[in-house]
Amino acid sequence: MQKPDPRTSSPPSFARKFLEWFCPPFLYEGIEGDLMEEFDTDVEELGEKRARRRYIFNVVRFFRPEIILRNKLSLQIMNTIMIGNYIKVASRNIARRKLYSFINAFGLSVAIAFCTLIYLFVQDERSFDQFHVNKDYIYRIHDTDFNPDKYKKGEADPYDRFAYLPAPLGTTALAELAEVQYMTRFSQGEGVMRYRDKIFKQRYANADSGFFKMFSFPVLAGDHAHLFRNLSDAVLTRETAKKYFGDEDPIGKIFTIDVNGEKTMRVAAVIEAPPANSSIQFEMILPIEMNPWFIGNRERWSNYSYPTFIQVYPDTKTESLQDNLNRLYQKYVPEETREWRERNLVPGFKPYEYGVTALSDIHLRKDVDWQKVSDPQYSWILGGIAVLILVIACINYISLALTTSASRRIEVGIRKVVGAYRKQLVQQFGFESIVLALISMMIGLGLVAIFLPYFNDFTGKEIVFTAASIFQVAGVALALSIVVGVLAGIYPSLYLSGFLPASVLKGTFTSRLQAGFTKPLVVFQFFLSASMIICSVIMYRQMKYVTTKDLGFDKEHVVAVGTQTGWNVQADRAVEQFRNAVKNDPVILHVAGANFSFDGGWSRNGFKINGEDKNAYVYRVDPEYIPLLGIELKEGRNFDSQLASDSNALIVNEAFVVHMNWTDPLQEHLNWKEDSTGQGAKIIGVVKDYHFLSLERKIEPMFMSINQKDVGYTTTILIRLAAGDISENIAHVQDTWTRLFPDRPFDYSFVDEEVARQYESYTRWLNIMALSTAFAIVIACLGLFGLAGINALNRTREIGIRKVMGAELTSIFVLLNREYIALALIAFVFATPVSWYIMTRWWLADFQFQTEVGWELFAMCMLGGLALALLTVSYHAIKAALINPATTLKHE
Amino acid sequence: MGKEFLGEFEELVLTMVGVLGEDAYGNAIVTEIKDRVGRDVNLSAVHVTLYRLEDKGLVKSHMGGATNARGGRRKRIFTITNAGLAMLRAMKEARMDLWKLIPQLKIAGG
Repeated sequence: MQKPDPRTSSPPSFARKFLEWFCPPFLYEGIEGDLMEEFDTDVEELGEKRARRRYIFNVVRFFRPEIILRNKLSLQIMNTIMIGNYIKVASRNIARRKLYSFINAFGLSVAIAFCTLIYLFVQDERSFDQFHVNKDYIYRIHDTDFNPDKYKKGEADPYDRFAYLPAPLGTTALAELAEVQYMTRFSQGEGVMRYRDKIFKQRYANADSGFFKMFSFPVLAGDHAHLFRNLSDAVLTRETAKKYFGDEDPIGKIFTIDVNGEKTMRVAAVIEAPPANSSIQFEMILPIEMNPWFIGNRERWSNYSYPTFIQVYPDTKTESLQDNLNRLYQKYVPEETREWRERNLVPGFKPYEYGVTALSDIHLRKDVDWQKVSDPQYSWILGGIAVLILVIACINYISLALTTSASRRIEVGIRKVVGAYRKQLVQQFGFESIVLALISMMIGLGLVAIFLPYFNDFTGKEIVFTAASIFQVAGVALALSIVVGVLAGIYPSLYLSGFLPASVLKGTFTSRLQAGFTKPLVVFQFFLSASMIICSVIMYRQMKYVTTKDLGFDKEHVVAVGTQTGWNVQADRAVEQFRNAVKNDPVILHVAGANFSFDGGWSRNGFKINGEDKNAYVYRVDPEYIPLLGIELKEGRNFDSQLASDSNALIVNEAFVVHMNWTDPLQEHLNWKEDSTGQGAKIIGVVKDYHFLSLERKIEPMFMSINQKDVGYTTTILIRLAAGDISENIAHVQDTWTRLFPDRPFDYSFVDEEVARQYESYTRWLNIMALSTAFAIVIACLGLFGLAGINALNRTREIGIRKVMGAELTSIFVLLNREYIALALIAFVFATPVSWYIMTRWWLADFQFQTEVGWELFAMCMLGGLALALLTVSYHAIKAALINPATTLKHE
Repeated sequence: MGKEFLGEFEELVLTMVGVLGEDAYGNAIVTEIKDRVGRDVNLSAVHVTLYRLEDKGLVKSHMGGATNARGGRRKRIFTITNAGLAMLRAMKEARMDLWKLIPQLKIAGG
């Protein structure tokens, strides 16, 4: 047998040390030898890496009671006996000081619960798209485009990145690049799906047949090998199939879907719905050719609508893949397009190019917009908050343990006198804090179970407990509580075990507490809570500002209903039909058509005027739009449907007038179609600026037109309702709708809700922040409460003497409280600049319209915080001040 | 009763100690079980069982001589005791007695 050289391959030393630590010495040599032998064989048969892994695993397998228990019985008999005693003393202490135990356990359990939740959150973030078998080989292509606006603003990364790419890119990459194995484009849309009497608005995805080879969404039924061989193949998730076909077998069912024209499809397969932690979401997949716009774009390199995924062969380098894709760009994209792309390029920056993102990185890559994409910063911030709360809770434990140390002093002295080592005392106090942490852990896990649904609401996640995750969570919580127990216990146990028995027992210690270390702890604790208070107040102010700010139009009682006609002239007819039908309706006051509501949809056009690049948001409206929304006309007039010339007229906003440098806009024409013969559309009116986009953005230049040929169709009906019972009114609108369009789904939303939804993620942050601030404050106040109580107790005799000498009640009150107020003040002085910096730099920076953050806000927070602190500590102060001095002094 | 009883795995390990004679230590037993019975057993399980058998007095152990292999560690060699042998024999006989009581086999055999 060839003997492996022990110098080149040796088992991991930590595992061996671990074995040595838990293994009884008289068994160690035999076991270690056997493990070595197995390791040597493994090295030969499996290689060193796997052998090391198996060694660790084998060592862990030896970590079992049958082995461990052979140890302690003979060797550490003292310790095991003492553990019983420690448990007894610990439980007595916990039971005797119920209030302090409660404060500690409460703080620690909330902190542990919080950290566990955050762990779940981070875990979920990291688990995105990990379930695909081919995840290491799948990439999403995106483009990187220099953005001169960002450059002018001085951004460090002046590029725009989009995953929406020309349709021929994918097919060309598959055909010409040797490393590309599969390709699929993946676009999404919405149509009206019909099966017998089931008519719903239905979201769908378009993909190529490569989709099913690349991604690991299991096909549950149907022919999975030849999917999309027929262009009428449709793949439905189980849920979607159930929605239309109930319990019938969906395979082979024929249905129609109307996306700009009705098409007949056949269910070819049923597929597992994507899990919540998938970046690729769909309810139904249709061949990409069924996208009504695809045929026209199939060979166009100038249309950017198709996200493209490719799967490469193993061992493909990302860089060479990107280089090859850019070679395709040079080869196929027309030169004028490329020049146009580089027209505003600043030297020193890269021109337009392609890049790729690995599938599992998509979720946390926030610079490329994608479904569910999230900022990795969130995980950090949440983790930070959890650690803050944990620190606050640990500080409670430490400062309470230190301040109550007086009562443990005699115990320490006696223990030492009868022969306890200092090490044992450290162990004892450490043990106590771990016991408390373990109790807290159980409460904390209960809290996690209770709070998980709310946490999901707050964070917009769908985390659920499974058998595996419960195990994991329990493990994490256990590890956390042991870490917390050790961290919180280490200082008090060193401090307590350091007492000299002689001085303790002779009574030369004064009963006053000298733990100077607690003051900075309290300041730090208060600093953390104060920062959180200020941050959440600023957040609250901003949200209040955003939701109540006058947007320049009346968003109340307006309902937006999709016409469900597709992008065609039927949409305009539907608006007209609906308007005529409700002419004298008492509930429906106004009906207008527009191409977008306020849910984030927009279209923006760029054009050249006198050689200058201009751009504006373009809205297709009808003459009712401005009166319905109550938008103020500053100059000129509204559209008039009677005037044929108005189809070539525009109404612009004030920002547009500024953008064009017009002095008298009503005399101007705008040749935005860059028509070489005419002078363009006439400006007939100027509206006051209103927020057609969210408040994260400035009011940008925009204009409205009623020309369907140039701008598009009014696919949204806006309806102004009379004030009154909202649900009744909506039911009325729905009745009218189904009477008029029995075969179209009624899909509505309130404009004010749509506006609010733009700030959803911010509201979510406010909620999280408010919740954690509340917890932090409660924990910190509890700690303060405990400290104040001990302090008052320590000073009972002093207070008694002062009262005998004639001190006023108020002066005693001030005496006991001023220290805490001073500490709180110091904390606020530190917290103010820190939280101001964080909030203005990070959170408010996202908004173009910000609430004012003035000194009065900080003053208010400070007063509130001080009042809270005062309220917390004064219970004890009042109690101590009211005690009859005779009761405290008669023992002297 | 409790003292008389041996589990199936214990019996297997005990038998292997008997089979291997002077060469019975943890790894050898694992390999032997794999070779003869075709069963993958974990080293730690074998060790634990050996110690339990030692507690029951069915095997005894001593440290073997040092070698260059195994990182210079000595082997803990197990040898079966008389009690162990008696135990194995008793179990075998008890099983044979039961075996004979199975009626179908008599018919099949005759």
